[in-house]
Amino acid sequence: MIKRVEVNYRGIFQKSLGKYIGSDIVMIASRMGKVAFSNGRYSDSPERNGIPCKYFAFVSPDLSEEELEAECGAKMDIDEADVSLVMDDTMVKGVEPWGWHGVRPINEKVHQKGCLLVVTRKSHDHLLKFIARKPFNYRLATLEGDASLAGLWVFKDDLTRERSLGAIAAVDPGIISIEAVEEYLFAKTKEKHRAQAAREAYDATLRRIKLVTPEQGIDWPYEIPVLPKWHEFEEGGVVVPAVPRGFKMGPKGQTRNDMFKRGTTKTERPVVRFDLCIKCTLCWLECPDECFDPTEDGLYDINYEVCVGCHKCAAVCPIPECIVMVDELKFEDNSSPWKHHIRDPQGYIQWAEEKKGKKRIHYPYVTGTGMEYRDGEVVPPKEKKRRRRATREADGAH
Amino acid sequence: MAELPVIDYERITTVHKTPLEEFYTSGHRTCQGCESAMVMRDFSKAAGPRTIATGSTGCMYVANTSYQTTPWIIPWMHTQLGAAGASAVGTSAGLRALMRKGKIPKEKINVITFCGDLGGGDMGLSGISGALQTDLDLLIILYDNESAANTDIQATGLTTYGAQTTFTPPGKKHRIMQRRWKKNVAPMLAVGHPTCRYVATACATYPQLDFLNKVRKALNVGGPTFIHTFDPCPKGWDYHPRYSHELGELGIRSGIFPLYEIIDGKISYTYDPHKKGRVPVRDYLMKQGRFAHLIDEDIDYIQGMVDTMWDEWEIPGVAPFKSELQLASN
Amino acid sequence: MARIKEDIKEEFEVWEKEDLLNGCQAVSHGVRLADVDVIAAYPIRPYTEVMDVLSKIIADGELDAEYIIADSEHSQFEIVKHASSVGARAFAGSSGTGWMYGFEALVVTATDRLPPLFLVGNRALDDPGAFGVEHNDAMAVRDMGWLLCWVTTAQEALEHVLIGYRVAEDKRVRMPMGLAMDGAFLTHSQHMVQMPTKEAVERFLPVYDLGKRRLHPDNPISIAPQVNEDWVMELRRQNWEAARRAKKVIVEAYQEFNGIFGPRYSSPFFTEFMTGDAEAVMIGLGALAMPARTAVRRLREQGQKVGYVNLRWFRPFPTQELRECLGRFKAVGVIDRDFAHGSPDSGGILLHEIRSCLYPLEDRPNIINFITGLGGRDVSIDDCIRMYDLTLQAKDGEVEDEFVTWIGVRE
Repeated sequence: MIKRVEVNYRGIFQKSLGKYIGSDIVMIASRMGKVAFSNGRYSDSPERNGIPCKYFAFVSPDLSEEELEAECGAKMDIDEADVSLVMDDTMVKGVEPWGWHGVRPINEKVHQKGCLLVVTRKSHDHLLKFIARKPFNYRLATLEGDASLAGLWVFKDDLTRERSLGAIAAVDPGIISIEAVEEYLFAKTKEKHRAQAAREAYDATLRRIKLVTPEQGIDWPYEIPVLPKWHEFEEGGVVVPAVPRGFKMGPKGQTRNDMFKRGTTKTERPVVRFDLCIKCTLCWLECPDECFDPTEDGLYDINYEVCVGCHKCAAVCPIPECIVMVDELKFEDNSSPWKHHIRDPQGYIQWAEEKKGKKRIHYPYVTGTGMEYRDGEVVPPKEKKRRRRATREADGAH
Repeated sequence: MAELPVIDYERITTVHKTPLEEFYTSGHRTCQGCESAMVMRDFSKAAGPRTIATGSTGCMYVANTSYQTTPWIIPWMHTQLGAAGASAVGTSAGLRALMRKGKIPKEKINVITFCGDLGGGDMGLSGISGALQTDLDLLIILYDNESAANTDIQATGLTTYGAQTTFTPPGKKHRIMQRRWKKNVAPMLAVGHPTCRYVATACATYPQLDFLNKVRKALNVGGPTFIHTFDPCPKGWDYHPRYSHELGELGIRSGIFPLYEIIDGKISYTYDPHKKGRVPVRDYLMKQGRFAHLIDEDIDYIQGMVDTMWDEWEIPGVAPFKSELQLASN
Repeated sequence: MARIKEDIKEEFEVWEKEDLLNGCQAVSHGVRLADVDVIAAYPIRPYTEVMDVLSKIIADGELDAEYIIADSEHSQFEIVKHASSVGARAFAGSSGTGWMYGFEALVVTATDRLPPLFLVGNRALDDPGAFGVEHNDAMAVRDMGWLLCWVTTAQEALEHVLIGYRVAEDKRVRMPMGLAMDGAFLTHSQHMVQMPTKEAVERFLPVYDLGKRRLHPDNPISIAPQVNEDWVMELRRQNWEAARRAKKVIVEAYQEFNGIFGPRYSSPFFTEFMTGDAEAVMIGLGALAMPARTAVRRLREQGQKVGYVNLRWFRPFPTQELRECLGRFKAVGVIDRDFAHGSPDSGGILLHEIRSCLYPLEDRPNIINFITGLGGRDVSIDDCIRMYDLTLQAKDGEVEDEFVTWIGVRE
């Protein structure tokens, strides 16, 4: 028997976290006398900030290490998972890690009896507004918390790692038991609070497992792409046609790479108050992903299919409250905000403010830490040393 | 190619005059807030459709054209890590020969090649030098995110002193493993190639429009030209992508990355700290996780080096020579 | 000799004149006649002279081409690769370690399926630095998706620049062409060479046209986007197909060539010498043919039934053709001017190709192997006679213990 865990995480921001959880599962399962190993999805690397990635852990009570490797060794992806752990709930809207494969349902790999385990503060019903229907019953569990985002060098030690292990033990003790998790964490760190965090997450998650029936969820016309046979595409040095040239004013007026949209990279999307906009162009000018569409009235529509939620537009916009980043799970479609604004300006403002809500997040510079530094003052230009020396010499001549 | 019609690019005077059409478009696998992607977007926007681009291996290869897809609207071709210069020469020479021999119509086609700091600043340096010695029309853009970012952040010859990378991790014995001072590439090329009429440094988003116009200036000046861009990298520098613009601006205003252009041997500063002043490098460094392990004395050392660049170098921020007057007086 | 144009009924001269040329000079004139657009030069003995001559040809206005003096072999090869991608006919070359220095570029030129032509003036690989011939340099690209052929005379060298471009640029092929020539022996020894007229060459060699794969603003494409495991095998499979198609294209090219220039080549892939009733033959590449064929003549005078097979095309390897040819004999002596240290029986590279080529035959000839002429060591007629003696013994299976023999090494 093989137990498969996939950790869905945000590229770079959760790279260490995903790997730690995978490694911990292997260590714990081994201490329980099972055979286990873990690996990252090779095709995700090199990782890019925000792009959905996966880390895997495989556990077996009866197979030899070699057999387990042979079954689960480096593949482009696994076929099914007993537990699909989702480290950032905005990934329930689907993941598009690469070109050609389109936006894939987050529960694609979850099999019958399997469990989709999401780190979130949202309710099951809220999540199910975005998740694809499955033809069979499966379980949806939640681990209460915010997505733990860090950077490549500075890791955010907020116990999400420990709590995830507890939650996995809760949804499938056949992988790791909570006792083994506690024992391992304490033996490893000699810190009670880590084992305790895992236990609390375990207890809480047990109360947050729901059965999802085939009626629940949304229609999702996803099919694994059939790639062309060797003689079905242009031969020689992988020549592909460029994106056809084309631009006109207005929504989706610019041609784009249809084979890879990558909007599922974002955790937050920019909401624009078009009525406040002074048409300075900066959001459009500074966008590294070309997702703003200039409109005849001098405004800039946003194509949310291709927006990756980098925040740059919000950061460079000179008008307070004009562009605010909002939780991606507050939105159910990618329709044009500018069209909404044109259709019903007042209604749009209400809609935008309702989405923005009252709370404003402060984003630290170094993602993994809360550390903040105020801007320094400008150092006045120093007088050129040479000139100083020249005057000194002049004085000496006196 | 004097006999050819020339595209006479206008200077983009205000943001509202920026060309709206994209030639590098959505659907590239770059990081959130990638400033190198801005370099791609802007050089193609500034140059327009009659352009051929080649790009050497690195993020702007692997991330941009992932999995048999492309974000390029202009024709683009991959070239090897150290081959940016050679790819520009081959492309430009091929076009010139075909036009001269009447095998294709005579027209001005821009040849622009880009390479990262590893490919261009280290491995490809001699190839770029070779390209800058030719009389061909080509523009080489070195997009510098200060690491081998595509292989998950290894130190290169252009990585800032003290930075953490996977090759230079802080350890129990050695706090700083990156002990090399950043290679001074643009001036090296300017000094070494007297017939190269245009060498510049730039930051894609600060000051506004500056990079777009430098690309156009390079194409107008003609011959082999070179631009070195300073690209904040949220992945490797470890900061929230939200602050990509701010980090670029701070890099310039702290004076750690000098901004200038050298046209026919004349230097003009795009950001002149002697007039506009410098913010402390601390304000730039401490906003990045790659410097989280530095202590005050490290920051003072870096500040000291930057001060020397601006206050003691014969050509401030550009050429690391000190005047004879100072030498004599020591 | 004059030929009639089919389309417009008028005569045109096929041969312009005769000149005393060495191998390098002959290739330069092949490049001139092929109206090459871009040349990238970098010096290394012994191939360099081809670039010396070309620069003078350009200086004298006999060829209009961009002549780039590169900063290294790597740049040299990348320059012609990219020139080729925009539709320019391109030429470069190298020798020995220079060839190896540019190896990365050689690999991608093949996977980009671009058809520049490269001269390899075969040279021993360092260390120690040595200028003499050895075939390991050119052989290094044998598995990379290259066309690779060896010529034996200056005349063949010139003609194979034209044949090479024609085959490489054919849309069914589009692979880089390696034209190999023994350093010193062929690159530097002069012979009388017949020079074709431009008109005749134009009739044989079509214009280079990349079609949908030409990099140009009028044909916007992306060349070589990064892929992963879900694409690479299909791409390799395409390259394999092109290598297979190349054989047909080569045959056509020689037929056409003979049609225009007269019956010069009896068969495209290799030439047989006195093999009619032979029992023991030797097979080798390049200038070895000279002493070998002389030895054959002398042994024939003594009534020995020996012959020589001069292999020209090494890639694509003429498997079926050689199987039929060599299958007729009792013994085959394979001469390697290269080495494959640690390979099966520590034989040479050519040995392994020939042996696996003949393996399916039920009644295989006995095969033995000679390693000789390394680093430019002279291979004398007597050396060849000795090799023939051993091969003749091998036909009765007498030299099993001397399967691989080093000829001409001091011992």
